[in-house]
Amino acid sequence: MKEVAKLGFVLTLVTVLAAAGLAMVYSITKPRIDAQGAMETESALIEALPQIDPASIEAVRDGDEIRYYRALDSDSQYLAFAYIANGSGYSSVIKTMVGVDKDGTLIGLKVLSQTETPGLGTKVEEIKYGEADPWFLRQFLGKKADGVAVKADGGEIVSITGATISSRALTKSVANGYTSLLKRLEADSAMASTSAEPDGSE
Amino acid sequence: MSAWKEFSKGFYKQNPVFKQALGLCPTLAVSSSVKNGLGMGLAATFVLICSNALISLIRKSVPNRIRIPIYIVVIATFVTIVDLSMAGFVPDLHKSLGIFVPLIVVNCIILGRAEAFAGKNNVGLAFLDGVGMGLGFTLALCLIGSIREIVGSGSLLGIPVLSASYEPVLMMILPPGAFLTIGFVLGFFNWIENRKKAN
Amino acid sequence: MEFQNLMIIALGAIFINNFIFSRFLGICPYIGVSKQLDSAIGMGMAVVFVMTLASAVTWLVDHYLLSPLPINVFYRLLTLQQPPDLVFLRTIAFILVIAALVQFVEMVVQKISPSLYNALGIYLPLITTNCAILGVAILNVDTQYSFIESIVHGFSAGVGFTLALILMAGIRERLELAEIPKSLQGIPIAFIMAGLMAMAFLGFSGLKIGM
Repeated sequence: MKEVAKLGFVLTLVTVLAAAGLAMVYSITKPRIDAQGAMETESALIEALPQIDPASIEAVRDGDEIRYYRALDSDSQYLAFAYIANGSGYSSVIKTMVGVDKDGTLIGLKVLSQTETPGLGTKVEEIKYGEADPWFLRQFLGKKADGVAVKADGGEIVSITGATISSRALTKSVANGYTSLLKRLEADSAMASTSAEPDGSE
Repeated sequence: MSAWKEFSKGFYKQNPVFKQALGLCPTLAVSSSVKNGLGMGLAATFVLICSNALISLIRKSVPNRIRIPIYIVVIATFVTIVDLSMAGFVPDLHKSLGIFVPLIVVNCIILGRAEAFAGKNNVGLAFLDGVGMGLGFTLALCLIGSIREIVGSGSLLGIPVLSASYEPVLMMILPPGAFLTIGFVLGFFNWIENRKKAN
Repeated sequence: MEFQNLMIIALGAIFINNFIFSRFLGICPYIGVSKQLDSAIGMGMAVVFVMTLASAVTWLVDHYLLSPLPINVFYRLLTLQQPPDLVFLRTIAFILVIAALVQFVEMVVQKISPSLYNALGIYLPLITTNCAILGVAILNVDTQYSFIESIVHGFSAGVGFTLALILMAGIRERLELAEIPKSLQGIPIAFIMAGLMAMAFLGFSGLKIGM
């Protein structure tokens, strides 16, 4: 019995020492890990809303949930919006940060997360060697967000060979996300009747 | 002389993956590109070196009956340190390695070395053994990673190495490619051994 | 609705994200004990059993001891100002819980049913370092499954593992009679077959269940 107590004590001691050491490491790394998440969103916003001063972008929240992002110019006129689009792809949900200007023209897209089939669906965010941005997403730029669709659905977006499901999922989520953005904007402007009406909602 | 032997045996003679068939889960899972393989290999090497050194240091005060749980706690501690540090400093790599970072805990190479070597030898040798075995593991991951990346995406470390007209064999970066590559690589090493014996 | 959701998790874990063929978890026992059908079934049953239990216990440990939630036991008992954030202890806690659980299961099975112990006994100690068990525990937490979902996921992941093991054992038993190049005998050919089987399982990945 004494032997068991001794062994138990040694094991507990080792575990407590390990836990204490880890608590120290955790306290050092935690701020960095937290900052990492915020930085990811921030850099995605910069890619989705290029040529817009990142300092002017603000998140519109509903409690803890971020509903969309908006950028205001110095006269509190709307310049652009960004929203997160979720599309159910082949093997995962493709999450994309989408930027539109006040007329609803797409100005930037950045895939936040996806675990599609490597080599096929993952091409939605593939950047060819020597290029700066993903070639699939580039064809969205300058198009109206509400009308965007893949060719098979009567639109202009050329699907990725071998990854039509991922291509369509992302494209649809961009259009659907824009529709719900408009609804949210409308609801918000109805509440705050004095603030500038977003042009995109017309 | 013996120090060099302990260091270098992990590269080929006792390579953990090719010769001992240990640590196969991460070898299969994260070898779809050289970058992932390298990241995984170095993370495991760090854990292996630290746990080998520490276990060798405390080997005389560890009661024999509970040595395995204590080894596991030591290994899990270093794994968590690696996990937290990677999340903080290389978040992209951390994301693409996914649950295989915490799973270094149950990588049989590390517990295997603790039990077979570090628990019986002095710190210097245990350290060298850790470095050698870790680098051997990394080497194996990189070899398999480069085969899969070249054939499966036509690139190496993200840089295209085959002409643009090469149509990548997608299967190689999907799960089946991992099994097939390891199968044939292991077969290749067997073939070399068999030839050696025949001579 | 709830039931449908559980079915999706179960089918996903057995076929689409099969632990062996798609997630690469538990490869060592897969290669080690898939030589004969009997041992494959024994190992498979032991894994299903421990995985289901481990899913339940690690979920409880994570939610009641480690996570900074209002239900945290330390927060309640010690009347702390806010729930403590102990998630950094997850890896250590899970592996110790699993090791203790396996010991415990071994003792209980030995007492209650010697015949079951004879069938599973030799496989149980091997399970502690089976990365599939720790893997399922971490996956449950990462995907934020509820308690019931975790148990279903653990159970069906075990079933998927067993399925892979039995398929493999069936093939390997027949392979005994085949003529294989000398260099590929043993482990290499097992991997090559696993690759071919993984190709078949890849076909499941396009299944859209209830989505």
